Amino acid sequence: MDLNHQTVNLFLMLKKFYSLLFIALTVLSCSEESNPKFDTDNFTSIFDNYKFDIDYTPIDMVQTSDGGYLILGRRKLTTSNMSGIYLLKADENGNFVKELEVDETYVNPVARLTQIGEVFYFACMEYPFMTANIASVDPDLENVAFTPVSSINDIIPTYPSVASYIDNQFLLQCYDHENRQSGLLIVDPVTGAASGGKAFTIGIGAADNVNEAIINTFAHSRRSFPYEVGKSGGTYFFNGFYNFTYSLVFTDLVSDDPIGVVSGQNPPDSDFEYQFGAGFSSIVNLSGSKFAASMFYFGENYLMPGITIPSNSTTSLQPDSFNPSYAFPELVKNANVKILRTTIDSKNVLIYGSDTKTKQIGLYFYDEATGEFLGSRYLGFSNPFEIASIINTSDEGIAVCGTTYVAGRFPRICIFKLSKEEIAGEIK
Amino acid sequence: MKRLYLILFCFLIVAQVSAQENKKRKPNAAYNKQNDANEKFLNKQWWLGFKAGTNLTDVHVTKTYSVFSPTNYSPDQSAKKYEHFKQPGAQATIEASFYFKKFYFSLQPTYQHSLFTYTNSYLWYDDVVPTNNLELNYEQEQKLDYFIIPLLIKYDIAGNKLRPYVQIGAFSAFLINANKQTTISGTDNASGGENNFTDPAIIVGAKDLFAKSSWGLIGGAGLNYTLGNVRLNLDAQYKLGMSNITSTKNRNSSDSLSGVGDILDDMTMDNISISIGCLFPMRFLANGFKSSDR
Repeated sequence: MDLNHQTVNLFLMLKKFYSLLFIALTVLSCSEESNPKFDTDNFTSIFDNYKFDIDYTPIDMVQTSDGGYLILGRRKLTTSNMSGIYLLKADENGNFVKELEVDETYVNPVARLTQIGEVFYFACMEYPFMTANIASVDPDLENVAFTPVSSINDIIPTYPSVASYIDNQFLLQCYDHENRQSGLLIVDPVTGAASGGKAFTIGIGAADNVNEAIINTFAHSRRSFPYEVGKSGGTYFFNGFYNFTYSLVFTDLVSDDPIGVVSGQNPPDSDFEYQFGAGFSSIVNLSGSKFAASMFYFGENYLMPGITIPSNSTTSLQPDSFNPSYAFPELVKNANVKILRTTIDSKNVLIYGSDTKTKQIGLYFYDEATGEFLGSRYLGFSNPFEIASIINTSDEGIAVCGTTYVAGRFPRICIFKLSKEEIAGEIK
Repeated sequence: MKRLYLILFCFLIVAQVSAQENKKRKPNAAYNKQNDANEKFLNKQWWLGFKAGTNLTDVHVTKTYSVFSPTNYSPDQSAKKYEHFKQPGAQATIEASFYFKKFYFSLQPTYQHSLFTYTNSYLWYDDVVPTNNLELNYEQEQKLDYFIIPLLIKYDIAGNKLRPYVQIGAFSAFLINANKQTTISGTDNASGGENNFTDPAIIVGAKDLFAKSSWGLIGGAGLNYTLGNVRLNLDAQYKLGMSNITSTKNRNSSDSLSGVGDILDDMTMDNISISIGCLFPMRFLANGFKSSDR
């Protein structure tokens, strides 16, 4: 009887213990589970190459329909001082899939990489003729085709500098070195046929050294200018060389003269790097005459979210020309600035991305409606990082493409993917 | 499902041991009833004690992650290499055990400081002059502080004064703190000569990178040595991690680490610990504070 009693006690005890164990394990089994979504929401990828002298510089990036990423970049060539074309495909987790080094006949790829249907397009030029071409490539990087851009209104489409896909056409800026003028062309992305265009002088009687200096910026090792094209209302604009300065020029593509100009600054300096010492470093039309912009001014940088620039204005660019204009001493001299319009928590937000003196990529968030500063985020650490492109992603996050210098010396393409929750956490 | 089987397996082992114990007891059922009260009393005891010691950690990778995505070499070349049971940590435990007929039902809240390290290497070289190269070696040390709640069943195998025992159970671990230290060293053969260098270590808080909680199973053995009313205890445990200790959501949240090319893998953590301590009885037979040892 006693033994039975003790046995019962033992089992009662065991039962209590197992109950406790079961409860404990149930409560505590809130263990970490893998979720593929987390891997696509946030990641950092550095596309490494063992070769010492490889030098790929990203220009632009798009998200492909399979969730992956296609990066357009430049590569150093041994046969000329131009930049070759480099394409890289990554999957939705940022893993390397494929790369393509395009034949050296075609050089100087420029933004923007644009998806039309299942094909990706960008502008480049044919060496050694320097004529603008529209390149097309499939998502698997199997085939690249080139279509020369046709001439129109006596504009020789050489030295393409930037192209934007607007109204189902490419709006292409180029430098016509024969006539020493900046051209703006409307180009069919498939046929390369120009259906409109206008060109504007870089300065009557511009000296050979100015012409040469502009051409030199297309060389691989030289700093490129922040060329831009766009449309505000019914008016086209380009950010490029005009009348001796690096200017923002408005045109209806009909009048021989610009409708309006915001002139950069041209100090009397024999060093070309500083000759065009001030101008817009980025500009995006928000609506009508409202723009988000940034400015380089003799090495200084200003961010200007939500400024008004009437298309018929003729003014000179100064730090106080537009309001708001925030000085950013933390950015490197004449910083490369990228602007992204996005929506965070139902709020229209402008994200400025740029290169900081701490060698990080700085992201600065502004309310698009008010220009109010909402927060910042810095990407990268230890090794230097530089921005190339910033895009919205299909999951409402953003992706930043840039260059990092691995071991402080090897330039390698990188992607930072940030989820919408992570971005939302950065703003007020 | 794998976890369920393991829990079930543990349950069966303990049930089997207890069943055998009762089977053995049957022939001795007719014992002296006069001693019944004392026997009953002595068959139950509460023990409270403290123990501390050292531990070694190993991790098992279930899925690898890397910031570096090689375009022209195998990812294996720069894969992480983990050190196994190499760096000693420390732990301190409060033990509360209920003894009943050679079985102990034991709760052992523990503070555990664990360390593990992995390394990886990268090599860049000139195709034309391969001796022109740079090698970087990354050493990543993780320091993890956990509050662990183990529930154990211990069984006295034999003895009276010297009592060896075996134990089995499960635990849940709650992350208190985590730090990572990254040390980059290398050999530069591309700057005109051989230059060996070590950069200053980068130390970052890494609590967000690890899972807030995890769980696992424990097996072990030990010895109790009776010294008066007190038991001196030598205890060895093997903790088998059953869940991922990495935060799947936050693994990319540290710009400091991703900037230097580091990201945590999915992994479970195993741990071997050895502790010494003492246990005090909470129930006494008489005013002389004679403990209930048998």
